[in-house]
Amino acid sequence: MSAVLPDWLDPQPWLRFAAGSNTAAVRQAILASHPGPRELATLLSPQADSLLEPMARHARDITLRRFGRTITLYAPLYVSNHCPGGCAYCGFAADRKQVRRRLDDAELARELDALHKRGLEDILLLTGERTPLCGPEFLRSCVEKAASRIHSISVETFAMTEAEYRLLAGSGCIGITLYQETYDPALYNTVHRWGPKRDYTDRLTAPERALAAGMRYFGLGVLLGLGDPVYDALALYMHLQHLRRIHWRAEFSISFPRLRPEAGGFEPAHPVNERMLARLIYAFRICLPDVTLVLSTRESANFRDHMAGTGVNRMSVASRTTVGGYDTGTSPTGGQFDVHDTRNVETFCRDLRGLGLEPVFKNWDRAVTAK
Amino acid sequence: MGDTLHIGGSEFESCLLVGTGKFSSPDIMARAIEASGTQLVTVALRRFNPGEGPGDLLGPLSRIKGIRLMPNTSGARTADEAVRIAHVAREISGSTFIKLEIHPNPHHLMPDPVETFEAAGRLVKDGFTVLPYMPADPVLAKRLEDAGCSAVMPLGSAIGSGQGLRTADLIRLIIADARVPVIVDAGLRSPADAAAAMEMGCAAVLVNSAIAAADNPVEMALAFSEAVRAGHRAFRAGIMPVSSEAAPTSPLTSFLAEPPVS
Repeated sequence: MSAVLPDWLDPQPWLRFAAGSNTAAVRQAILASHPGPRELATLLSPQADSLLEPMARHARDITLRRFGRTITLYAPLYVSNHCPGGCAYCGFAADRKQVRRRLDDAELARELDALHKRGLEDILLLTGERTPLCGPEFLRSCVEKAASRIHSISVETFAMTEAEYRLLAGSGCIGITLYQETYDPALYNTVHRWGPKRDYTDRLTAPERALAAGMRYFGLGVLLGLGDPVYDALALYMHLQHLRRIHWRAEFSISFPRLRPEAGGFEPAHPVNERMLARLIYAFRICLPDVTLVLSTRESANFRDHMAGTGVNRMSVASRTTVGGYDTGTSPTGGQFDVHDTRNVETFCRDLRGLGLEPVFKNWDRAVTAK
Repeated sequence: MGDTLHIGGSEFESCLLVGTGKFSSPDIMARAIEASGTQLVTVALRRFNPGEGPGDLLGPLSRIKGIRLMPNTSGARTADEAVRIAHVAREISGSTFIKLEIHPNPHHLMPDPVETFEAAGRLVKDGFTVLPYMPADPVLAKRLEDAGCSAVMPLGSAIGSGQGLRTADLIRLIIADARVPVIVDAGLRSPADAAAAMEMGCAAVLVNSAIAAADNPVEMALAFSEAVRAGHRAFRAGIMPVSSEAAPTSPLTSFLAEPPVS
């Protein structure tokens, strides 16, 4: 049975603005002094597509004012791909043929060394869903080791209890990334075929637990391609506003992952093309001027170059979606998905500088939360 | 009084303070700082990457002659965190100046008066020269002064907003009572805003986004430098009062004898 959408999350009241808009309303939404869900819905309406250029210009101006000419960099590090989950779209799902492994202590140390040598000081540790081989204690140990080498450590993993999040925070983890994937409860139920991730409400309420446990940053997102992107974008906005009212000190980011080809050959029901993805990013920048917007190497080098500084202010670089792979350049496992932008750190940074943007490798100091 | 700024026993020849975030490269940052003529530059500990790792700002800044570094506590959400940052930054930079900034809500970046006041007292006791970024609150300004801060830094408007001197009336109240320099920090958009702050009697202004986000940061730094000097000069020269009535330059009663002196 599908979960019931809480009232504070329901995007229905705003969907009519996305369905029945006109270009005059779109122009007003672009320049609204206090944009809210109505403006976001209007900017996601089909009529807004013809005003993509003014949207982009306004988004660029806001990004420049708020974040300057800088892009903060991070790299993902998969520490395990064990997974009992049945997510229909994921290359690490339990029914995919994969070499399953987790990094041992020596391997983790070598991977961190390799990332550190590339200058990266902001690492996101990732895993599959909870298993006996990859539970809170394994993650705590990874965080502790990583935080002793790298300034900024955050984690993207299964939904945890508040006590478990507290364990990670106490070991040096400052942020959690957890996407709801889709906010549509019925669709959520369909694509999460089995496993602990089937619990929609448990995942939805995880950010509140993580922030109550002392995390400073929370990354939200939906997996674009699964459901109606307008519905999911509006619900994501509602979720963020709900969290901001409760955890007013927390810093939030929004990612825009599009489904990429993976081992299981999952076909997206609502494919999002580059033009729509760009519009989503411009619309969120206009309606959430101060929220970090993230774009990963799922996207092409050309698309990323054009979005850097025109909405996006944080990007992953030189990513590997295999377990490890930074140290030797290869990994025995397959990837969670195929990376599209394969530039190394030097090339990516050279290209960013060519665009007049400074790559920021370190934007956090572990001294702030040191015990 | 010339174009000098006195803070905590130190003298600075420029009344313009400059921030180091948001620039497109360390080279442009350095050139803008040099063009601004500033002698007091603030930098966040989180942008230190000792050993000049990628993106380190401390290395490029330490090569600029004639400036004093003032680390800031940006990123701190509590007094405890700010105090910890200040100590680490002092160890790394060797500077006892600290720009205390605690703005826990990342969305509007408004300073937390409670945590700021708490941290200020502790840092003063620890031997820092403390310059707190604060809401434009005249009572808080006096409380921070009493706590031993060497200057107060009320906001003109939200950080990076470019909304200018929205708090002008409150800043005037702060200036009227202050025994320490009043430095407007945050929100200034154009050199005209900086000149206006100086004309009001501010001792200095701190500018970052307006320079870094300009099309030509080096030229804009120079423009701010000139505006600060002009505003300061105008304040010293004594600006004519505002009147709702016209004041004729050739008075009608000047032909009459002065009243007898009693």
